[in-house]
Amino acid sequence: MDNIFKFAAGIFTTLGFAWLAFVVGAKMQYGALSPEAEMLEDDGSRPVDAELYPKALSGLAQQGGEDYQALGCMTCHTQQVRLVEAGFDVERGWGKRPSVPRDYVMQKNVLLGNTRVGPDLANLGMREYSDEWLHRHLFEPQALVPDSLCPPSPFLYVVSEEEKDGSIEIPATDEEVSRFVRPSFRARGIVSYLQSLQQDYELPEMSFIEVENEVEELVVDKPADGNASSAGVPDWLARQISSGKEIYMKAAPGGGLCFSCHQPTGLGLPGQFPPLAGSDWVLGDKERLIKISINGLMGEIEVNGVKYNNVMAPPGIPPGSLTDSQIADVLTYIRNEWGNSASAVSASEVAVVRAATKDRAAMQMWTAAELSSSSQPAP
Amino acid sequence: MKESPEQVIDRSAKLVVSFFVASAGLWLLAAALLAYIVAAKLTDPFFLSGIEYLTYGKVKIAQANAFVYGWGGNSIFAATLWIIARLSQAEVRGRIFLLFAGTLWNLGITAGLLGILDGKMNAHELLEMPTEVWPVLFIGYSIIAFLALVIHRSREHSSTIAPQWFILSSLLWFPALFLIAWNGLELNPARGTLQTVLSMWFGQSLIWLWLTPMALGAAYYVIPAIMGIVIDKYYLAIFGFWCIAALAPWSVLNHLVGGPVPMWIPAVGTVMSIAMIFPIAVASTNFHATAFKDVGKVWNSLPLRFVIFGTLSYTLSSYIGVIFSLPAVAKLTQFSIINEFHFNQRVYGFFSMIIFGVVYHMLPKITGREIGTGSKTFHFWTSAAGVMMLLLAYLIGGLTHGVLAQQPSLDWASSVISSVQPYFLITKIAFVILGFSQLVFVINVWKVIFPNPLAYILDGSPERKEKSA
Repeated sequence: MDNIFKFAAGIFTTLGFAWLAFVVGAKMQYGALSPEAEMLEDDGSRPVDAELYPKALSGLAQQGGEDYQALGCMTCHTQQVRLVEAGFDVERGWGKRPSVPRDYVMQKNVLLGNTRVGPDLANLGMREYSDEWLHRHLFEPQALVPDSLCPPSPFLYVVSEEEKDGSIEIPATDEEVSRFVRPSFRARGIVSYLQSLQQDYELPEMSFIEVENEVEELVVDKPADGNASSAGVPDWLARQISSGKEIYMKAAPGGGLCFSCHQPTGLGLPGQFPPLAGSDWVLGDKERLIKISINGLMGEIEVNGVKYNNVMAPPGIPPGSLTDSQIADVLTYIRNEWGNSASAVSASEVAVVRAATKDRAAMQMWTAAELSSSSQPAP
Repeated sequence: MKESPEQVIDRSAKLVVSFFVASAGLWLLAAALLAYIVAAKLTDPFFLSGIEYLTYGKVKIAQANAFVYGWGGNSIFAATLWIIARLSQAEVRGRIFLLFAGTLWNLGITAGLLGILDGKMNAHELLEMPTEVWPVLFIGYSIIAFLALVIHRSREHSSTIAPQWFILSSLLWFPALFLIAWNGLELNPARGTLQTVLSMWFGQSLIWLWLTPMALGAAYYVIPAIMGIVIDKYYLAIFGFWCIAALAPWSVLNHLVGGPVPMWIPAVGTVMSIAMIFPIAVASTNFHATAFKDVGKVWNSLPLRFVIFGTLSYTLSSYIGVIFSLPAVAKLTQFSIINEFHFNQRVYGFFSMIIFGVVYHMLPKITGREIGTGSKTFHFWTSAAGVMMLLLAYLIGGLTHGVLAQQPSLDWASSVISSVQPYFLITKIAFVILGFSQLVFVINVWKVIFPNPLAYILDGSPERKEKSA
């Protein structure tokens, strides 16, 4: 202890043990991982001509990764889906399976992150956001996700009043005119990098996880065979209702997330979100319902004599992404659940309305006044 | 009148310690400003959003680096040199080299932070400053560490005591950790998540093996020095020291639980963080059993009040850290802003508070000038209130964040993050309070170091006069 050299030897030895484990040992264990086929043969050999995963990033995406790091995005976004025992990342729809070390071997800088103020991005590319949506999000996140804390990055874009080649429209808010932004090279790189983030392949050490949640169990309860169900519902209607229910309850890309406001009971939340069960809107004019399902609804409305004032973004994850048949299914479902009984909505009816309102910008929500002036009262 | 040996030592340390304390103060203010920007951006995403140099991520990382290397580094040098010199009863030598090395260190950090803001950051925890500045920092550090060891080697008595073990190990561990990380991340970069394992190991060990032993060593020195009594149950200190040396570097990787790394890595981290209750208990017993022998003295001496606040905070935070490393709790709080609680608790509630106490104890002896009691008291209470407010906000906010994030049905932005937002507002207020508090500290310090700045500049420093005479 009193001899500085012996003392130094002592404290370096204790540190050295940890170094041997975490640096040398870990490197010996998995430092040589390389891309692998999705499935191996029974004898452990790699099938001939098998695609190897993970793939290397494109040049543009690699550039974008450098800029993602330079701007410090990893301070709020992780890129790791945890094991099922450790958290609910898979259930949240952040990945089809937990991340494994092999997923990262092709990345120059591994940005796992340790804090999630924003959502995990390990599988952003799988969530089917369009490039345009991502650009608009980078330019001003709050225009698309009102409660987002993500700082806008206007310095990545050139803003102008008129449309140019490759520019993206930022729809007008209340009084302003629409603006157009042209993504810089860096912005395109970052979007390309974000789209490349996907662990959408299986590996020998980790296969996709089936998420077992209430929704699927409920859907299974519904008659899915070709015959008419016990309740006397024709099977096409039963199929529409069961698919609609899945969309209504799904909190992942391709779902509607309807239940988060209107609740699984269809009763809404008093004073905040109107009920769907027994609602004069749901049981009334189909066209009005379809319009709301495409573009959303905002401002004061009156449901069954009670006033509500809130914002309903276009349903779907991402907002406004539901297809015609998905809208038809989910509307048919809410018109025939919780004691409701009204005619089904078909995909062609949705297509007609969508065509008639195609000039309306994607996120331009309807107001009650607009809807009552444009649509005819139900016969 | 003949000077006492202590006065000779203090005079030999005056110039360099003043230099390091004064620079540390400036870095503390820079970090406070950056911390405010970070907190303001979390309450209003549009705050300064048009300026590319000040994106949230850049400023946050620059803040952590300014705090740890700017304030932490400089204050560690100041406290190390003075305490080692006093304990060795030897003068500080090679002052011109120390000043040169200190200048290198500060210029390196300045360049490093500007590099981060300019978009050249690395993605490795607490190694974010651009690659180019690290050799400069390392050379600067090595010169200072070498000269501190020279003082230690020229000591009067060959036997050593607890403050020396802790401070010397802090001095030696930093370069060892740095060389390991530098080799594994820059010279022979590891692939895949090995990078993350190493960078997290470095970043967390830096707090445990550089800042922590320094602050503990300082507390082992200052508490008996001011109270005039020996450390109670001192025979335990050696056990506590070797427990930290043996366990701490193993205990830092529990944050990777469930992640894409071999499962033994976070598992070892969890087990070892639980084992850390032994060294925590030892330090806590030593400090607090001593302090409780004369509570009045602790209360009346401001330096001591700062130090005891720091040691209490160390005990409390370390036990909370143990609880949060249990798998059932870690599952909830992993990735939440509870990480900010751990970081700020350690670097602020513990390390900085002890260093404030050391500086207030040391500066009057070195400069021969007293610091006003009123402004010291103001500094103490605003710091204490600010730190507690900050930590409570991060703790409760972190729990809220973690628990809500575990509900897959809740929408991320509109439900989970909106619920955490009020806590960000509280941290913003806390950072404003802390900013004022730190401003008062820096004014206190600068006033005794440069009592008459104009005369100082015009006439040259007293040291220079002595030399020329």
